[in-house]
Amino acid sequence: MLDILSVRLVVEIFINGVLFGAMYGVAAVGLSLIFGTMRIIFIAQGTIIVLAAYVVYWLFNTFGLDPYLSLVVVAPLAFATGATTYRFLFRKAAAMADKNTSLLIAVGLMFLVQNVISFVWTPNPKSIITSYTAVGFEVFGSRISVTRSISLVIALAATAAVVLFLRRTLVGKAVRAASENMQAAMLMGIDPHRVNAIAFAIGFALAGAAGVALATTYPFDPYYGFSFALKALIALALGGIGNVVGALLGGILLGLIESFSSFFISAGWADAIAYAVFLLVLMFRPEGLFATSFKKA
Amino acid sequence: MNHLLEIKDLSVAYGDVQALWDVSAHVDEGTVVSVVGANGAGKSTLMRAISGLLEPLSGDILFRGETLVGVPAQEITARGISHVPEGRGLFTQLTVQENLELGAYLAHVRPHFAASLDHVFTLFPKLKERRGQKAGSLSGGEQQMLAIGRALIARPKLLILDEPSLGLSPLVVRQMFELIARLHDEGVTLLLVEQNIRQALKAADRAYVLQTGHVAMQGEAAALLENPQVQKTYMGALD
Repeated sequence: MLDILSVRLVVEIFINGVLFGAMYGVAAVGLSLIFGTMRIIFIAQGTIIVLAAYVVYWLFNTFGLDPYLSLVVVAPLAFATGATTYRFLFRKAAAMADKNTSLLIAVGLMFLVQNVISFVWTPNPKSIITSYTAVGFEVFGSRISVTRSISLVIALAATAAVVLFLRRTLVGKAVRAASENMQAAMLMGIDPHRVNAIAFAIGFALAGAAGVALATTYPFDPYYGFSFALKALIALALGGIGNVVGALLGGILLGLIESFSSFFISAGWADAIAYAVFLLVLMFRPEGLFATSFKKA
Repeated sequence: MNHLLEIKDLSVAYGDVQALWDVSAHVDEGTVVSVVGANGAGKSTLMRAISGLLEPLSGDILFRGETLVGVPAQEITARGISHVPEGRGLFTQLTVQENLELGAYLAHVRPHFAASLDHVFTLFPKLKERRGQKAGSLSGGEQQMLAIGRALIARPKLLILDEPSLGLSPLVVRQMFELIARLHDEGVTLLLVEQNIRQALKAADRAYVLQTGHVAMQGEAAALLENPQVQKTYMGALD
């Protein structure tokens, strides 16, 4: 029988799952955009998030800049870095029919960034402790952390901004068009390099936002990025590739799966269960769980 | 006289498989030119080479006197060639309106968007009714109209239509050729690829017959229509 205490506990597990899952979701939205035009899984996405977290950490420790305020610096910086990364690393490979080169560049970039982070900031885990890190508030008797709640707000706002961009602006429509049919987009006069660069820029900016969310809620180390990218990939598969809103929801669902399996089974099993769900979805519902209710954003 | 489009000794391959050998052809301003031939004759390959989706092995393509070889597809569109590819190339997840907006993606086209849109809606009133619908939800004929309408938004100097009648019912095919005649009257320069050879020759001023990657015959469309060899090879079974 469920008593009041266990109801509260379930609510708490649920909310924490949503809050953490939203971070996977933002990473997955970035993967979705880059996959859309480039047709590659950008495996370095998680490591870029970790890099952003380190930049937030550095700004906080060096200049005392509030981690949330640093979003104003980190997101535009990440946006520009994304466009530049495309220009110098991926532009040539993107024109090739064989996508393996682009994928390998992403793998190389991931290891390079990991090693640079480890060299600059040491491999030891870091975390940011602010005056409000330990602050929480009560909802139906369950304690909710303020920083995780802000992370959720950042995730929702970032996804909403991307959806608005894709639906309302001509360039956003060009990105959607190119994601569906690049050659037909070129016949409209759309430059494939331009839409690829935009996808990278937005993907990196989202990584910047996720980095702020990560830095304020959890400890991180240079090697955390790869497993984060895998989680984002699971979120993407749950949500359906090419579906921006689905990617966010997929992340939240993954957060819930992890949160509940950590509590009811064991933390050690949570990852295994997440990957098992990933395989099951790809086997039985490769179009994603939300394919009928949410079309491409 | 300078031709609007001039193709000189063009050879094109798909990977290791050569599809065109030394094809020469031209299109003059204000005319309709049909390229006809059997399936696999290289018609679409020729169009894809013109619009920059395929790089030729050798030869040249001149548009208003300037070469298009090595020019990226999006820039060829900017120079005034709109290509409605085989299969239409619609963005099926986007609405009819969004597809038309992307027809005006280029900066120099955008100021004329409202006027061009009016013109397209006059040609295809159905599209106006369906502007909020996803392009993928339209019927085959409506999709073809959208593809052509979207290409017209850019006010091209040369419009390439690749198999516009493919997969459409006879009634819609007739409407399609009526449209081609209307565009011809409006002064649009058209390069038309068709398997429906009789119709394509009736609609055109000049025509080229492609056979396994070579130009087998060429000349006035009316003359080709009367040519016994063309009749025997391509229309015999139909009469």
